[in-house]
Amino acid sequence: MALLEVRNVTAGYGDTEILRDVSMKVGEGEMVTIIGPNGAGKSTVMKTIFGLLHPREGSVHFSGEDISSLQPYQIVERGMCYVPQVSNIFTDLTVSENLEMGAFLAKKADIAARKERIYEYFPRLKERRHQRAGKMSGGERQMVAMGSALMLNPKLVLMDEPSAGLSPKMVGVIFEQIEKINKAGPAILIVEQNAQLSLQLSDRGYVLASGENRFEGTGQGLLKDPEVGRLYLGG
Amino acid sequence: MSMHDAAADAARHARSDDRTSGERIMAALRSRTALAIALALTLVAFWLLGYGQGASLSNLLSLTIWGVMLGGIIALGAIGLTLVYGVLKFPNFAHGELVSFGAYGTFTIMALLPASAALRPFSFGWELLVGMVLAMPLVALAALIVDRILFRPLRLRDASLVLFAMASLAASFFLRSVIYLAWGADFMFYYPGRANPALELPLNIRIQADQLFVFLLAAVLVGVTWILLARTRMGKAMRATANNPDLAQVRGINTERVIAATWALGASLAVAGGVMYGLASQLRPEMGWFLLLPMFAAVIMGGIGSPLGAIVGAIIIGIAQQVSSSFINPAYGPGVAFVLMIIVLILQPQGLFGQSGD
Amino acid sequence: MQQIDLARAVFLFLPLFLLGLLALPGRAVLRTVAALALAAVVAWLLPQVFERGALTYLASFSTMAGIYAILSLGLNSQWGLAGHVNFGVAGFYAVGAFTSALFTTTMPEGALAAYSQQAFGLQWPFLGGVIMGGIIAAIVGFLISIPVLRLRTDFLAIATLGIAEVIRFIFQNERWLANGPQPMRGIPRPFDCLFKDPACSWLPQGAVDFLAPLSPRDYVFFYLIVVSLILAVVFIALERISRSPWGRMLRAVRDEEASAAMNGKNVTWRRIESFVVGSFIMGVGGAVYAHYVVSIDYSHFNPLFATFIVWVMLMLGGSGSNKGAILGAFVVWGVWSGAAFMIDAASPALQLISPDLPSRGAYLRWMLVAIMLGLIVLYRPQGVIKERKKVSDFMSDKGDASGEGDDATAEQPARQ
Repeated sequence: MALLEVRNVTAGYGDTEILRDVSMKVGEGEMVTIIGPNGAGKSTVMKTIFGLLHPREGSVHFSGEDISSLQPYQIVERGMCYVPQVSNIFTDLTVSENLEMGAFLAKKADIAARKERIYEYFPRLKERRHQRAGKMSGGERQMVAMGSALMLNPKLVLMDEPSAGLSPKMVGVIFEQIEKINKAGPAILIVEQNAQLSLQLSDRGYVLASGENRFEGTGQGLLKDPEVGRLYLGG
Repeated sequence: MSMHDAAADAARHARSDDRTSGERIMAALRSRTALAIALALTLVAFWLLGYGQGASLSNLLSLTIWGVMLGGIIALGAIGLTLVYGVLKFPNFAHGELVSFGAYGTFTIMALLPASAALRPFSFGWELLVGMVLAMPLVALAALIVDRILFRPLRLRDASLVLFAMASLAASFFLRSVIYLAWGADFMFYYPGRANPALELPLNIRIQADQLFVFLLAAVLVGVTWILLARTRMGKAMRATANNPDLAQVRGINTERVIAATWALGASLAVAGGVMYGLASQLRPEMGWFLLLPMFAAVIMGGIGSPLGAIVGAIIIGIAQQVSSSFINPAYGPGVAFVLMIIVLILQPQGLFGQSGD
Repeated sequence: MQQIDLARAVFLFLPLFLLGLLALPGRAVLRTVAALALAAVVAWLLPQVFERGALTYLASFSTMAGIYAILSLGLNSQWGLAGHVNFGVAGFYAVGAFTSALFTTTMPEGALAAYSQQAFGLQWPFLGGVIMGGIIAAIVGFLISIPVLRLRTDFLAIATLGIAEVIRFIFQNERWLANGPQPMRGIPRPFDCLFKDPACSWLPQGAVDFLAPLSPRDYVFFYLIVVSLILAVVFIALERISRSPWGRMLRAVRDEEASAAMNGKNVTWRRIESFVVGSFIMGVGGAVYAHYVVSIDYSHFNPLFATFIVWVMLMLGGSGSNKGAILGAFVVWGVWSGAAFMIDAASPALQLISPDLPSRGAYLRWMLVAIMLGLIVLYRPQGVIKERKKVSDFMSDKGDASGEGDDATAEQPARQ
């Protein structure tokens, strides 16, 4: 049984329908990438999975449970975390406080240990733990955002364009971390502009266009598919 | 925002992106510095104007100290106002009425308590402090009931800011009508006719012991609030929610609980502010309404959602109000606060400690 | 019918005719004829149905409601048209009132000057004072709009609340300006010689004889005409404005600021203009009020019955709708006035609850109005009358009758 299953979801805002009959699966420990042109509905998929938007038709299942109508904090309780693309850190809080807010639902006694684990992934954050997060560089902010999402040891992490706005060097560092995180346990569902790099690391991938599934396959398979390459990878 | 804008050509222009964000911080610093300088110059101008009108130095010094004390009272109200503004994202025009309720509620509770002798050199006895502490949960409860009836349905409906503001104005007039009905329109005093002589201090400074107490209590409560916000998990969640409510939800923070805690804390501080204000002057139904403008000025000056900013703003406004009374009619105190607020809005609407958007 | 009742009926004809034009449905010509006929009948009936005191009360009620309708229209041109949240209506209202008073009164001299001070007194005619009241209020609106209108709406709400308080402090404390805490008295009523003995010298003998039975207490019947005419002018002007390209643009700016800006509209200026127009109308409302009550002081312009109640009127009537703004003014003023009677009547019951309560009964009205606004915000935030989609003068509004049905109720409060 898949960890996450999106079954024929149709969703949108107000009068506009953005997703039509979208289905996807993420297995335990898998890394899956969603690619597609701008406006394909990639971020909307993420929001629908995470309960920020509820599907009009179809359903979202997590560990076998229907979570389509749950609120985000209830979904977090069940072991899923989300790293939004923008404003994904508390700029007024310190790095350490940001991490604590990621574990709001955890027992107080555990928090120090959980923080230490995150500092192992991102040693840079330990150096700067007392700094206000708003004063950090783009790459460091991304680390704070990812670190906070990992505080609860989630089974699945959703990441919305983690490399957006970063320098090429930083993109490399961030993806290294993503790979490391994935190896350590949690499954990762990632939306990425930087399709080449992300697909290379992924077990599987989906191509989304105009709110519908277009292609799916293994990461390598999609990279090699001539049509996907021509249409969506700019190759 | 900056990350989003830069997303398109980030790879190629990585360096220039760093520079622009650096420049942005510089620009923010510059205008924030400009605001701080402008406010400092205003205060200096007020002192000079007072001096020019013949106020003696010791007189001006006394006024400044009274200003810090008034600032403490304003700060007690303004911290709650800024937290509610930050967490719930609307200007709560009913916050002044929480201040009034605190003052009147304490008055009524005191009447039920056995009267004790004055704690010399202060003019008040234990019952004032006990009454204040007992009034805090009651006013907090009143705030929660108003939130439940009025603001929560709007929140669930995702109503516009204007409707929230309108609803809070309705709450303000409703609560004030309750005060008029329950306690009447006449001025009241905690200790009518009790003498409260000024202390003899060096440099000819004249301060009453009560005024000193007001300032000390304000300082202690501000300190306690600071610890609550900086050290406890709920306090941090409050700051987080004020900073970025959407992300707070995403991180699994139960925002309704945070909102309830915010009302409780804001209302409790408002009670203390109301009692101190009532002790320093008198109780009247409009007392909270008169404090509303200085409180808003302090909140905007400090930056919406920033408790530290509200404290700093409140003290600046308190001093400005008191010192200005050496050269203009003291009745214009709230007007002085208003002028300072307009200066802030022109120079740097985000205030001294506000977020520069993200 | 006695002559005094006939004379009163004649005065009531014009306001009733205007009300008919506003409330009746149908095409222009037909509506005019119907309104003329209906106004004549109702004007003839009213003095026979009501006793004299009650009719005087009705006229003064309608005059005050009409003044509030002017304020409500002014607020609608800011909030309904452009989305400005002005929580300082009282300030512009006060500026209009005091300005008109200063321009039309006589500078006190001799012994009078000792206890009544004012900056100047120019003895201008009524209309000049009213227009100056509007202009000065518009200038105040312009000055406040420059720093604040480019900011978020919540800052505007706080800043306008502040400016209204500051204006009230100024009129309360500056004795030299408009007699400070003491009321400013002797504001002239236009054509009040009509009701005096001897009557105006220029009046033909026939008219003098006709008006002879009326006393100065009946002046309100004449002033109701003045208020109705000014209200009609404001209403027509705003209807024109909201259908003009300028009004369309403002609504576009209100609803989609970003896209309007991208379409090359100078958003900030349009917003300032609409704020200034609204301030002008509120100033006119203040001036009309000052000449009605003759004696004004700062306490008349407090946030409750000069700002808050106007918002309740506009919200009830439905923001964006000028008819709704007028309807709301009459309904809310009716509730406010009616509540006074009810609280008087309930005073024995209040006595039972607490001996202090009857003397504080006036504040039950506050509570009532606050509850009204709370209920509107919670249950009918779009008001009783929804905004119509007005595209332009060249396209008919037919097919959208939602406004018409509700308008019929506009007569009810006036007739009660």
